[in-house]
Amino acid sequence: MREMASMIIVLSLICSASGFSLAYLRQATAPLIEAQVLENVQGPAITRVCPAADNQPVEERKAFELDGRRIMVFPYRQGGKLAGVALEGKGGGFGGDIGVMVGFNVNNDSLLGIGVTTMSETPGLGAKIAEPKFTRQFQGAAMPVEARTRGGAVDAISGATVSSLGAVSAVQAASRDYQALKPQILQAWQ
Amino acid sequence: MASVWKEFSKGLWAEIPPFRVVLGLCPTLAVTKSAENGIGMGLAVIFVLVLSNALISLVRKIIPKKVRIVCFIAIAATLVVAIELLMQAFTYPLYQQLGIFVPLIVVNCIILGRAEAFAAKNPVHLAIADGLGMGIGFTVALTFLGSLRELLGAGQLFGHAVMGGSFKPFTIMIEAPGAFIALGCLLALMNCISIVSARRAGKEPSVNAGGCGCGCCEVKQ
Amino acid sequence: MEESQVMHYFLMFIGAVFVNNIVLAQFLGQCPYIGCSKEKTVAIGMGAAVCFVCVLSTALTWLVQKLMLDPLGLGYLQTIVFILLIAALVQFVEMFLKKIIPPLYKSLGIFLPLITTNCCVLGLAILVQREEFGLGTAVFYSFSASAGFMLALILMAGIRERLALCRTPRALQGIPLGLIMAGLMSLCFMAFKGMIS
Repeated sequence: MREMASMIIVLSLICSASGFSLAYLRQATAPLIEAQVLENVQGPAITRVCPAADNQPVEERKAFELDGRRIMVFPYRQGGKLAGVALEGKGGGFGGDIGVMVGFNVNNDSLLGIGVTTMSETPGLGAKIAEPKFTRQFQGAAMPVEARTRGGAVDAISGATVSSLGAVSAVQAASRDYQALKPQILQAWQ
Repeated sequence: MASVWKEFSKGLWAEIPPFRVVLGLCPTLAVTKSAENGIGMGLAVIFVLVLSNALISLVRKIIPKKVRIVCFIAIAATLVVAIELLMQAFTYPLYQQLGIFVPLIVVNCIILGRAEAFAAKNPVHLAIADGLGMGIGFTVALTFLGSLRELLGAGQLFGHAVMGGSFKPFTIMIEAPGAFIALGCLLALMNCISIVSARRAGKEPSVNAGGCGCGCCEVKQ
Repeated sequence: MEESQVMHYFLMFIGAVFVNNIVLAQFLGQCPYIGCSKEKTVAIGMGAAVCFVCVLSTALTWLVQKLMLDPLGLGYLQTIVFILLIAALVQFVEMFLKKIIPPLYKSLGIFLPLITTNCCVLGLAILVQREEFGLGTAVFYSFSASAGFMLALILMAGIRERLALCRTPRALQGIPLGLIMAGLMSLCFMAFKGMIS
């Protein structure tokens, strides 16, 4: 009985000590981790959708509230004026959510381009949505974006319809957020 | 002081993992695509190994025998989560490169093997010396293997081209088969050295043995 | 089930067993691969035990991650929670088999204590989380991958049984030769990459 008690006490002591120290460490590192993720995961996609930026979209980011969600928006300046913004949308693919960074031209509400941030689609099939052949279709496209099978202008990749539709719905989600947030965005950066 | 040095230095040559004591093969094979990854993995292992050795040695007297392995795993896992968070915060690209092998440090035989074979039986200063020595030995070994594979497989060292324009890289060396073959040849070379030197000294040679003391390798029947 | 879905699962199986073999291409579970591959019977036992525990632990950790860690925002504790769950699961399976199915315990029992620290099990549990599979896909993937582990282990044991009868240089005996052979097998398995492109 005594042995049992000491086992339980020691185990719970170790677990609570580890729990407390990890929770503290987690709090201390959270802002650093967020900055690193932005720079390394979203950063390359942002550079792809706004290649000619003369500001630092990642550093000038702002978070907006929409229906209780926190949406990160990245401004894209050219010649000192706000030319566009980039924000991320998610859509369901074959192997989980597909994250797509979408750039919007604030002057005429068309798309600047898209860059895939996160996905776990089958390599060689669904993963082709990250290739220029697919993403190029979105450059300069007018909203609303829709796949050709549903009456739009975006061609799905043959053999990877689900992934293509997932990417399109991610773009649509980002477009909806953009349209809802546009007044606030213009106010924040103009 | 002499005993501290003895425990520290054995990890650097006489028992250098994974060459002399075959411990922690998974990360050794998986992350040594380049010298830089090797160093990164090695440093992460040093962090976990030194602290886990120290903590386990500190609490060794109050841990009941029956649950000691679970306690060791809990301590090691805590440290691994800590290094995961720190790596995400400071070296995110490296964290992505090493991928799943960062959390897998917790099941690396080196950690549990040293905990069971050394830290649970020795005072704190010796346990830290042992962890530091083994960790540095492991880092040196990973960096060496990583440089070798990067040099042959890509003609580069730490990302800089060093082999000249006429060098045609053996791409296979940075693919999966290259890892096995390079490590196999290195182990054979280590054996060769010890056989030759033992023969000179007129002793029976000992070749590197598997088994790590953590009980995950050999079946005891 | 739709035809494309069947195809997807089939490709996943082939991919996990041959193309991205967990031992030969992803480097998980090296310890038992080198340590438990001296005899075919041992290899089969170890492979089956890993398969069994992998499937169970993937299902369990998936549920815990999705129902407990994610809603509570404790995703960063994944590693520590998973390894403790796996340790507890292995202990539980051992007791359960001993009581309920003694014949199965007799054949798998000696391998079970070794499995807690087998990186195959924890590796697969984390891998399916990183790939963001659903529950069914995760369990299927984990089954396929551990079947790949078993295949590699049995093939290796077959080769080593024959190799034991050959004369080999002293320095190469044991682990060095085992690793070089693993490299050659990995080279062969790489040929399957052409199947899924």
